[in-house]
Amino acid sequence: MSAARPGLLCAALLLSACSGEQSVLAPAGRDAEVLATLFWWMLGGAVVLWLLMNGLFFYVTRIRPQALSPRAAEALIIGGGIVFPTVVLAALLSFALSEMPKQREPGENLTVRITGESWWWRVDYLPEGSDTPIASANELRLPTGQRSELKLNASEVIHSFWIPALGGKTDMIPGRETRMSLEPTVPGDYRGQCAEFCGESHALMALAGVVMTPGDFAAWLEKEAAPAAIPTSAEALRGLAVFNAEGCGGCHAVRGTEAAGTVGPDLTHLGGRVTLAAGILPMERDALIRWIRDPEALKPGARMPGYDHLSDAELSALATYLEGLE
Amino acid sequence: MLGHRHSSLWHMILAPTVWAVHFCVVYGWTAVQCARAGGPDAARTGVLIATAVALMAIVVLGWKAWRQWDYLDDFDYVHDQPTTEHRREFLGHAGWLLAIVSAIGVGFNALPAVFIRSCL
Repeated sequence: MSAARPGLLCAALLLSACSGEQSVLAPAGRDAEVLATLFWWMLGGAVVLWLLMNGLFFYVTRIRPQALSPRAAEALIIGGGIVFPTVVLAALLSFALSEMPKQREPGENLTVRITGESWWWRVDYLPEGSDTPIASANELRLPTGQRSELKLNASEVIHSFWIPALGGKTDMIPGRETRMSLEPTVPGDYRGQCAEFCGESHALMALAGVVMTPGDFAAWLEKEAAPAAIPTSAEALRGLAVFNAEGCGGCHAVRGTEAAGTVGPDLTHLGGRVTLAAGILPMERDALIRWIRDPEALKPGARMPGYDHLSDAELSALATYLEGLE
Repeated sequence: MLGHRHSSLWHMILAPTVWAVHFCVVYGWTAVQCARAGGPDAARTGVLIATAVALMAIVVLGWKAWRQWDYLDDFDYVHDQPTTEHRREFLGHAGWLLAIVSAIGVGFNALPAVFIRSCL
C-alpha cells in the first residue's frame, strides 16, 4: 500500500459524512440550515486564521527573522491577542444568539410527544384540536411548510433526540419535559440517532425521520389515526392467531384488536413504517422474522423475549400479518 | 479592610470580583424570574440593569487603576524593582488590564438578554 493510500481512505471516510440521510451538512430544514451556515462560516474563519498564524510564523522565522520593535510587538499583542479575538467572539456569539429564538419558537398546528425508551422511541401525534394522541413508534413524520412542536420525555434514563438533517439536538430527561420545534423544508427520508449514551444498545437506537408535503402528511395522519387493517388472507389470519396465542398483545398495542399493551412499541401501522426495531432493520419480512426469533441477537438488552420456539411456518405467518398492518 | 490601594492585591481584583458577582446575579435572577416570578421581561430588565451597574463599577475601578499606574506620567511599562513605586504601578497596571477583561466578560454575559426575549 502506498503512503498516500491511508490518507485518501481517511479523506473518503470524512467526505462520506457530507451528504446522505444523517448529515448536518445536507440540511433539509430551517434549523439545520442555520447550523450548517454557522459551521461553514466557522470553518472558513478557522482556515483564514490558520493561514494568518502560519503566514505570520513563516514571516518572522524565514522572511524577516529579526526582533520586532517594542511598539510593533505591543501592537501585535494588543491587536491580535485582545481586540481581534474579542471582536470575532462577540460577532459569533451575537450571530448565534440572534438565531436561537427562531430555533426555540413554538410550533403550530401539530405537537408530537416523543419518549425515549430502552432502546426505542414512543411517538404520539397530537394534531391541534385533538384530545386523543395518535400512537406510533420509532418514526417521526413531519409536514413541510410549518413549524411543528416536539415535546420530549424519557422513561428511565437520559436520551438525546437528534435528526441532524432537520435541526439541533435536545436531551430527553426522565421526569422532566423538554421541548424543541422543527421546520422541515425538503420532503424525504432522514435518519435520527440517540445522541446521549443510554445503555448497551444506545448505538442501535435510531429513528426514521420522514418529511412529507402537507397534503401527503394530512392523508398519512388520517390513516395513522385509524384502527389496524383487518387481515384477509389465510396466511395473515394464521399470523394473527399466532400473535394472540403467543400473548404479543401483552406488550404491544394494535388498535382495533384486543392487543393493548404499552410496554413495547405500538404496532397498529407497523407495516407502513420505513424501518423496523428503531431504525436498525429494513421493514421486510425476512427482517421481521429475524427480529421476532431473536431480538437479543440484533439489539442486546432489548426487553422483548425471543420466539425461537415458533416454527418457520408460524414465524412466516406472523410476519405476513405484521407486514399487512399498514 | 482591603488595605491600602497602592499595596493591596484585593484592590487589583475588584473588577473581576464585580464580574463574578454580576455572573451569579444574572444567572440567579434569571432562574428565579423564569421559574417563579415575573417572566422573561422582568428577567431581561433585571439583567440589563445589573449589567449597567456592573459596567459602571468596572469603569470606575478601571479608571482608578489607570491613575494608579500613571502610565502617561512616566511611560513605565515594566515594574520589576522592589520599590514602592514599582509595586504601586504594577498593581495599577494589572488592575487596569483586569478591568478590561472584566468589562468584556460582563458584556458577553449580558448578550443573551439582548437577543433572547423568552425564558424557553
